[in-house]
Amino acid sequence: MTDGRRVFITGMGIISAMGRGVDETLAALERADTGIRPLTLFACPFEEPLPVGEVCGVANQPDKPPRTHQLALAAAREALIEADRAPDMVILGGTTGGMFATEEYMKQGHRRPPYSQHHAVSSVAEMVARECGCRGAAMTVTTACSSGAVGIKLALEILRRGAARSILVGGADGLCRLTYYGFNALQIVDRAGARPMDRDRRGMTVSEGAAMLLLTAADQPPDNAWAEVGGGGLTCDAYHPAAPHPEGRGARDAMLAALADAGLSADDVDYVNLHGTGTVENDLSEAKAIKSVFSDRLPQLSSVKGSFGHSLAASGAIEAVIAALCIQKGFVPSNVGWRHQDEAIGFSPLTEPRRQPVRTVLSNSFGFGGNNAALVFIAPTKSEPGTRARLTRSLAVRACCCMTGAGWTGDTLERFFKGLSCQGTLSSDRLSEGLPPRAVRRMKRLARMTLGLAVRTVGRADLKEPIGDVYFGTALGALSETHDFLDKLYASNEFYTSPIDFVGSVHNAPAGKVAMKEKVQGANVTMSGGDASFEQALTAAHYLSAEGRQSILVGGADEMHPIFSEVFDKSVPMGASAADGGGMLLLETAGSGTAVTLSPGYMTTTEDVMASLQAAVAWHGGREAVNDRIGALMVGIPAAWRERVTPHLDDFLHWLEFKGPVIDYRRYFGEFASVSAVAAVAAVALMENGAVPGPLAEGEDCPLAGRGILLIGLGVTTSTMLVETS
Amino acid sequence: MDNFIEELKVKIIEALALEDVTPDDIDPDAQLVGGDLGIDSIDVLELVMLVEKEYGVVIDSKELGAQVFASLSALGEYIQKTRKEG
Repeated sequence: MTDGRRVFITGMGIISAMGRGVDETLAALERADTGIRPLTLFACPFEEPLPVGEVCGVANQPDKPPRTHQLALAAAREALIEADRAPDMVILGGTTGGMFATEEYMKQGHRRPPYSQHHAVSSVAEMVARECGCRGAAMTVTTACSSGAVGIKLALEILRRGAARSILVGGADGLCRLTYYGFNALQIVDRAGARPMDRDRRGMTVSEGAAMLLLTAADQPPDNAWAEVGGGGLTCDAYHPAAPHPEGRGARDAMLAALADAGLSADDVDYVNLHGTGTVENDLSEAKAIKSVFSDRLPQLSSVKGSFGHSLAASGAIEAVIAALCIQKGFVPSNVGWRHQDEAIGFSPLTEPRRQPVRTVLSNSFGFGGNNAALVFIAPTKSEPGTRARLTRSLAVRACCCMTGAGWTGDTLERFFKGLSCQGTLSSDRLSEGLPPRAVRRMKRLARMTLGLAVRTVGRADLKEPIGDVYFGTALGALSETHDFLDKLYASNEFYTSPIDFVGSVHNAPAGKVAMKEKVQGANVTMSGGDASFEQALTAAHYLSAEGRQSILVGGADEMHPIFSEVFDKSVPMGASAADGGGMLLLETAGSGTAVTLSPGYMTTTEDVMASLQAAVAWHGGREAVNDRIGALMVGIPAAWRERVTPHLDDFLHWLEFKGPVIDYRRYFGEFASVSAVAAVAAVALMENGAVPGPLAEGEDCPLAGRGILLIGLGVTTSTMLVETS
Repeated sequence: MDNFIEELKVKIIEALALEDVTPDDIDPDAQLVGGDLGIDSIDVLELVMLVEKEYGVVIDSKELGAQVFASLSALGEYIQKTRKEG
């Protein structure tokens, strides 16, 4: 064992086209069943509708939560059935959230769907957390098809470091038109149903489902442990927005990293659960990666996507459940749909389910943007606990950049320091300044904002080494692409849509552009957590970035879309004016010498604001320590929450007896979810300035005198971030 | 045919947001994909949708796509030929 506390799967829940619950799923796998069938969820104008993996019996009434939410809740309930306490945290992988419900409204001819609290992908994790009584953070990983697996790796790191005792983690995606028509437009859907690894394969089958795992940190396996999560590896191809690296470079590196993380070698692996979507390119590139990891000593191999279809963000979690079943039941599932060996692939997957002892499973999940994840699951046995201690890393700021309606960094900070509003939306021309037109022609607003932030941030640092990882937070993602995709779809009676918009519509597309531009080959993680999206990205950076010295990019941004922004974010229409923006920081994971550092702090979804804030202060060392160490507070109060939280915030400040300035930053930067990324950059600038200027301190300049700035975010999530000098 | 090629140029520039390209910049006989215009596989899929939507011509395999999108002239000829046959 190479790592600290060991992490075990102590509860599992699953729902998919293969059945409801662990028992039904196992029985279907043992029968080598398939859940791929004709589409019934919505009417499709194609002469031959494409088959899907649909979960039957999920109600779609407007008064019910959307499909994805219902699937996630079903899996969560099963996973927690024997748990005696609520999990400390919920982490969910997702890509579509409430998209199907939104589509249904737009389908009825509403150009503008009504306000929906369930549209955002983060609303699924938040609902699961509420339902299971979890008071900790509810985080959402949205790295397309690897989301579920990336979520498990994030949970693993948090648990290893002792920052939580148990985490409910998984993935959920409901079927919707966006993915159904989107993958079709990419011509990577097999009309005959997915035949992973087969010579004649023509593509994937889009499906839906959810799986949740209760992960528990312990020194030795609890009695109810299904499997141990041995390790995980995250890499990025930085090659193409929707195609894998042809030689499977990123996939190979993810597998090797996962094995190293688990302290195992390729020879220890009994079974590889392939990503195996059934597309020509994915399967070939994955096969090359497999051969380079295992050479001619191949373990058992199969993809289950001929049975389950590809449930996108859910697939990594579904396949984690399967891995645990393999270990517990001594069983390996077959590669349903496979008939003929492909010479280019050069091996045959398992064609019949097989009984055999399974001790170690490697499970692959790869996504758009070349976001690769591999996980290792091991039979739970007694062994020596590891020794790695609580993470005390601080991330040193090497460079940063922000944008608001006032302009790029200097323009924004100049107005902010004078206490003037920066609210607004930058024109498309100014947004695209410095970006070659050809390079950004397929990018709409959010991707341009994000790439602009990255290019400027990197330009401010004298980098000798390539950037290790990218972490990005966005609440609503690429709204322009999402809107335009649906608009074109409905305008053509669901016959035509734009593949370019589809590829650009995934939440991780903007960070993918950054990774490609900067040739990032480490982790590339996009988080979505409403008003705490940037805070979640910073948290992911804190736990997932590698040990040792490297530079990573951490940013957050949300775009103003004239139709979608205000129907998916209640605070947007309450702002003084339409506003958007974002911020990005180049951080060094093990800085030397004096530097301004940025660290994630406390995060909770408890509704009691006062209790949350007091708990946050306790987390930061208590009232006295906070008053000693903190020279200014920057508070983000989303407009939709202002009335409710202000009295509690006043009580809190009174209780804290804080004497320094309190900056209500949304009044300067505006109402958009990732505004806290701008605030973090502004806090760094204030630290470098050494004082809070008079206009922001209600009077005289207020020296920080070496003390730091605590950023507090309020809303569904109460969170803190700390900027200080090390 | 020339008018048709000009029409295609305008539609392609718009569909692929080739903001810095004018119709005159596109040589009908030059390599369309992977050439100077920076058109790649995702653009080709966008053009597949465009051709089907505007002209009712379906290009549903990679092999066919490789021939049809070899150059703008090839694309124009394929569309006109297929429409006549249809």
